[in-house]
This record gives sequence, structure tokens and C-alpha cells, in this order.
Amino acid sequence: MDCDRIAEMMPDYLEGALSHEDASQIEEHIEQCAPCRDTLAVWNELAMLPEETPRPESRQRFEAILAAYREGRSSTKGIREPQRSLVPVWAFANRSLGLAAGLACAIVLMTGGFLAGRYTDGSDAGSRMELAAMHGELTNMRQLVVLSLLQQQSATERLQGVSWSTQETYADPQILAALLHTLRYDTSVDVRLAALDALSRHGNQPQVRAGLLDALQPQQSPLVQVAVIDLIVDLRDTQAIAELQNMQHDVKLNPAVRERAQWAIRKLS
Amino acid sequence: MLCKGHEGRLENVRMTKWVPDEELMLQVRAGTSESLGVLFDRYQKRLFNFYSKMTGNRTVSEDLVQEVFLRLLKYRQTYTPGTPFRAWVYQIARNARFDQLRKQRPEAELSAAREGFTLPGDPAQRRQESSLLHQALLQLPEEKREVLVMSRFQDLKYEEIARLVGCEVGAVKVRVYRALQELKESFRRLQASGSARALNAAGEKQNLPRGAGHGL
Repeated sequence: MDCDRIAEMMPDYLEGALSHEDASQIEEHIEQCAPCRDTLAVWNELAMLPEETPRPESRQRFEAILAAYREGRSSTKGIREPQRSLVPVWAFANRSLGLAAGLACAIVLMTGGFLAGRYTDGSDAGSRMELAAMHGELTNMRQLVVLSLLQQQSATERLQGVSWSTQETYADPQILAALLHTLRYDTSVDVRLAALDALSRHGNQPQVRAGLLDALQPQQSPLVQVAVIDLIVDLRDTQAIAELQNMQHDVKLNPAVRERAQWAIRKLS
Repeated sequence: MLCKGHEGRLENVRMTKWVPDEELMLQVRAGTSESLGVLFDRYQKRLFNFYSKMTGNRTVSEDLVQEVFLRLLKYRQTYTPGTPFRAWVYQIARNARFDQLRKQRPEAELSAAREGFTLPGDPAQRRQESSLLHQALLQLPEEKREVLVMSRFQDLKYEEIARLVGCEVGAVKVRVYRALQELKESFRRLQASGSARALNAAGEKQNLPRGAGHGL
């Protein structure tokens, strides 16, 4: 066995994931080959580096952070999240959570009924068509739930909406529009970041790429801006360069964002 | 609620002993911030060691651990049920490290690297060897050092590392092997050139990996 083959197998050997036979082959080679033996020796020598213990003050610092957090939380208790004043771009009647929950129930019931039907009907062509139709309806229902959850007043419910949206692999333009709207206008940074994550799954859609560009400039939070820039770089969207160049020189922007824009331009060009 | 005092706290500790990380994180997400204390006790040492191997600096490592737990609190709403907590916390830990790298000037890490780590009470020879090895580790580019530290010291499987760094498992294995080769070369070089000159030559490349995360 030559050194190249050993190089391929060595990582699994180090993890202890090789079969007994493969491991013996490596050991045989190592006995005869000084450079490979030395590589293994360095891996073993890494055990020399001591395991470190953090100082006890660390726990106290953490306790202080936690206490400050609890204090902040109790002082804001009872304050309601401000009414969202922006009208969503997609035309959709304002629905209550009750309806969203009802729709969710309906999906569960339909799935149950569908499974029951499957047992009795067998698997002939007719039932397969029925299955496809059912699946289509389910998808639509889920879209309704997502769209309605995204409009709720509580950030937790909107987050739930974003996470529901990721259950579909198919990129529905209406859902994407809703997520892009959330990315741009949601009052909570958490929800905006979650929407961005959900959108990153559909980065190949022109609608998403264009939407990301639109969301870059007016974004209030530097954190979200940096995250959007990172996604643009991940998507290798070179069309964003012009916009990033504007941002790089925009003194009104947070310095970290300008720096990230500069980094992104280097990565993309 | 009545204050149960010390006994009550002990009882809580006993009760949380068998609660999975994910369940505790969901409790944090729902507003029970006390559960984060249990996660802190479970992960503090592990994360501290991750950072100390990566930076060679105790103070920076301690600060980074605090930063991770602060971010866990801040972004608790973005934790989704079903996500392995370990994967999530490492993602946050990596992002905290990238942000720290971005902020710091290169010289800062260099001088930190010279600090090295020593084992009190160890024989001098062994102490020097261990310090040189850490020097060599700190000289590796960030991307290679990271996978090596994760697989050697953090007990992370190649699959887990692959998901964290966003590449194929095969690519992680190649990277670990190359990192080890590079480490071997620079360690043996440092040993040969003697510790005094080696300390002056210590340097760290500051390559930021692509897509350094969402700044979580």
C-alpha cells in the first residue's frame, strides 16, 4: 500500500472507523514508512496539549449576564409588541390565529383521513391520482397557514410561520414574496434572520436574488445586513456588486456593514 | 413560589441531570432562562478548550465563551425544535470566533500566540515541547486548525464537522489530513530551530473562511 492510499484512509483510522483488516494494513505500512509514522506520531503528541479549565469567575460572569437578562425581561413584561403598521404586499385578508390553528388542524385531519383511505383503497392508479390531488391540497393549506402565521402580532408565531415555510421543498412564489416582505419589514430581528435562512434554501430563484438586493439598503439592523451580504456571497450573485459598491461608500451605514460589503466585493470579483 | 433555598436548587440539579440539551434549550426559548445555567455547566469547559486551542489565549477564550452564551440567550427564538443542540452551539461558537477575528488586529493574536500554554509542574522538557506544538498549531491557517481541533479535541465526528463548516465529509477528511501534515512540518521545524527563535517566528495566517455565518 502506498502513502497516497494511506493518506486517504488515515482520517478514518484516526477516528477509529476502519475495519480491523484496514487498520492492520495501515499499521503494517506505518512500521516501514518513516514519514507516515511521523504524521501519526504528531497526532498522538497532540495529546500533550493540556485540557484547560476555565476560572471559577467565568461562572460568576455568566450568572451576572443571566441576572441582567432576567431584570431586563421583567421590566419589559406587559409591554405589547407595537402594532405592525405596514400593510403586507401580498393581497391576503387579515386572519386570526384561530383560523391558522384551524387550518393546521384541518391538515392533520386530512392527513389522517388520507392515510386511512390508503389502507382501504390499495395502490391502484385511481388512488395514486387521488393521492397527488390530496398532496396538492395539503400544500395549498400549508401555504395558507404560513401566510397567515407570518401576519401574526407575536414574533413567536411569525417565527413559526417561517419555520412552516421550510417544510416545502417547492418554492411557491407567494410564500417567497411573503418571506421577502418579512425579511424587509418584520419588527423582530429574530424573525428577519429566520426568514433569511428560509430564503437561502431558494437562492437559485431570480425572485429571491432580486429580493435580497432590495432588502439590503433599507435594512435597519447591521446584523441582518451582514447576514444578507453573506448570503449574497454564498450565492455568488455578481449582480449585487454595484449595490455593494454603493454601500461600501455610504457613510450613513454601520462601519461593520461597510467593511463586510468591501469583503463581499473582493469575494465576488 | 416559595423559595426552596439550597435544597431546592440541589433538587433542580438532580432533576435536570437527565434532561437532554435540546429540551433545556427549548425551555430557554420559552423563557426559562435558568435552564441555560445547566447548559453552561455542560458546555463551558468544552467550548473554552475549543477556543483556547484556536487562539492560545485564556482571556480571549473566556470572553468568547461568555459571548456564546449571551448569543444563545439573544437568539433563543431562532432555535428550532429538532436541531441537535451541539450542532447549534458550535455554529454560534464559530460565528463568535469569526466576529472576533474580524474585529481584532492581526498583531493582537500574534502576541497572544506567544503566550502559549504551559502545564504547571510538568517537566521542563515536556512543557517546552507542548508549547512548541501549540505554536505550530497556531501557525496553521484558521480553516485547517479548526477541523483539526474539532476532530482531535472536541470529539466531533467528520459528519458533524462537515455540516458545521458546510462541506462534504470527504473534504473534511482531506482537510484534517492536510492540516496534520502541515502541523507535522511546522512542529518539526520549530523543534529543529530551537524554542527561542521559534517563538519570534510564530505567526498566524488570518484566512477567514467563506460565508463566515450570520453573525449570530
